[in-house]
Amino acid sequence: MNPQFLMDGLIAGAMIGLGAIGVTLTYSILRFANFAHGELLSWGAYLALALSGGLGLLSTTLSMPIGPFSFGWSLPLATILAIILTGLLALAVDAVLFGRLRSRGSAVIILVMASFGVSLALRSLLEFIFTSKPAYYTKALQIAVKIGGGLRATPDQLLSLGVALVAVVAIHLLMTRTDIGRSMRAVSENPALAGIAGVDVRRVIRVVWFIGAALACIAGIMTGLLVQIRPYLGHDLLLPLFAAAILGGIGSVPGAMIAGLIVGLSEAAAVQLVGAEWRAAVSFVILVAVLLLRPRGLFGRAA
Amino acid sequence: MTVPALQTLALAAGYEPDLPIVRGVDLSVAPGELLVLLGPNGAGKSTLVKAIAGVVPVHSGNVLLGTRDITHIAAHGKIGEGLAFVPQTENIFATLSIHENLQLAAAVLPRSRRGEKIASLYQRFPDLATKSSRPAGTLSGGQRQMLAVARALIIDPRVLILDEPSAGLSPKIVAEVFSMLKEINADGVTIILVEQNVKAALAIASRAVILVEGKIRHEGAASTLLGDPIIAKLYLGTSQPQEAQQP
Repeated sequence: MNPQFLMDGLIAGAMIGLGAIGVTLTYSILRFANFAHGELLSWGAYLALALSGGLGLLSTTLSMPIGPFSFGWSLPLATILAIILTGLLALAVDAVLFGRLRSRGSAVIILVMASFGVSLALRSLLEFIFTSKPAYYTKALQIAVKIGGGLRATPDQLLSLGVALVAVVAIHLLMTRTDIGRSMRAVSENPALAGIAGVDVRRVIRVVWFIGAALACIAGIMTGLLVQIRPYLGHDLLLPLFAAAILGGIGSVPGAMIAGLIVGLSEAAAVQLVGAEWRAAVSFVILVAVLLLRPRGLFGRAA
Repeated sequence: MTVPALQTLALAAGYEPDLPIVRGVDLSVAPGELLVLLGPNGAGKSTLVKAIAGVVPVHSGNVLLGTRDITHIAAHGKIGEGLAFVPQTENIFATLSIHENLQLAAAVLPRSRRGEKIASLYQRFPDLATKSSRPAGTLSGGQRQMLAVARALIIDPRVLILDEPSAGLSPKIVAEVFSMLKEINADGVTIILVEQNVKAALAIASRAVILVEGKIRHEGAASTLLGDPIIAKLYLGTSQPQEAQQP
């Protein structure tokens, strides 16, 4: 078995893990499975593409590759703006749809079905604006370098792993060391008591949408950078995202990341062991196995 | 004339819009008073205090804290007004540590005062200080009540409302909790206490209000109610007058 599957799995797992953190946060606080989360990855990727292209037109030096990477400064700058815009998109969807359903006391199944509708609408809008033709941040070719142990990785891949690590550590510190993080954990455990304890639950919900969308945007840009940008980019990752969120334990940020890596490594191993056509089945098998054997996941609390 | 610490004016409240549980309650609590709300099961005692705290929707009427109308302020906003509420069950965050429970409540205070306030609560509740890093879910029933009360006290409330703090506790722990409430009241905090433990509650209360079917049926000095056989039989579920006992 070629050890390269480890690197491929880690990179795919980091993207899945970042997306899964958003899924697990929104699930634990809003208490419904948001099937539109994948579209936030796609929108993040396309917003960064549009903004990066716009910045490149303003100044060609911004498009010149930075050091060993395939992209210029236009992409990091576009990423910051895309994170903000994706966060605002999530807040807008909540204000227009989910927030209204919550205030009416709608059943969870109504919220879930609404999220299917949002997913369809957002994806169709992307296809309408950008067409379904694959797009790329850069067409520069990168040579994978040896990193020891028989593994190879491109500078873009190593950077993506580093960004994912920094994002996870930052979110973990936010959740455990800050007022807003404690408030998020309190709302996740008992929203009514959180309100009595002085937590503005509506504000926490807005913060969770924004953070979830920001992480989805980063994951989408990473996927776009390392693979390609398509309107179905996020939709195709939905099953691995939910498998990782449930395997990690709903509400657990480190759990979602570790589970994302497990899902990514399992997919990469399956490609080598049984063939690429079985890759998509791996997440499904993991999801079913966790739900049957340990529904609370690796790091989730018992109900 | 002294302004009441808390008043409800013709308050109607309930979980469903067309099904009021509290029906036109006029309640007035004097500053520094320890008022106990009594009544049979289903009388609407818990619903009344939850409506005051902003947890149950108010259908009509008003809630005044001092002279300020707080009827339609959200639960988290009432903390800032000086109203603290300790629910009967699930009144702590079990997955957060004891210290995090207090930090969460202290977030409404200016940053410079938080550490000092938490330290003063650890002095008052030394049991919590020794276990501060433990998940609150590992505490015993009595310690959970202490943490819930400590969380509520962090804002130096003008009015503290407690919903059946003795529920599920052993008689020894109930005595400790009630003794703690009496101390808090002696510090000048106005307390509204919902209780099923009539004997212990009347022993520490200055005044009692009896609620039946969502309306006030009787009120008076705690010592008077304690010795009234008709009240005891009709509303308190006992056939003998209660003897006052200090917890």
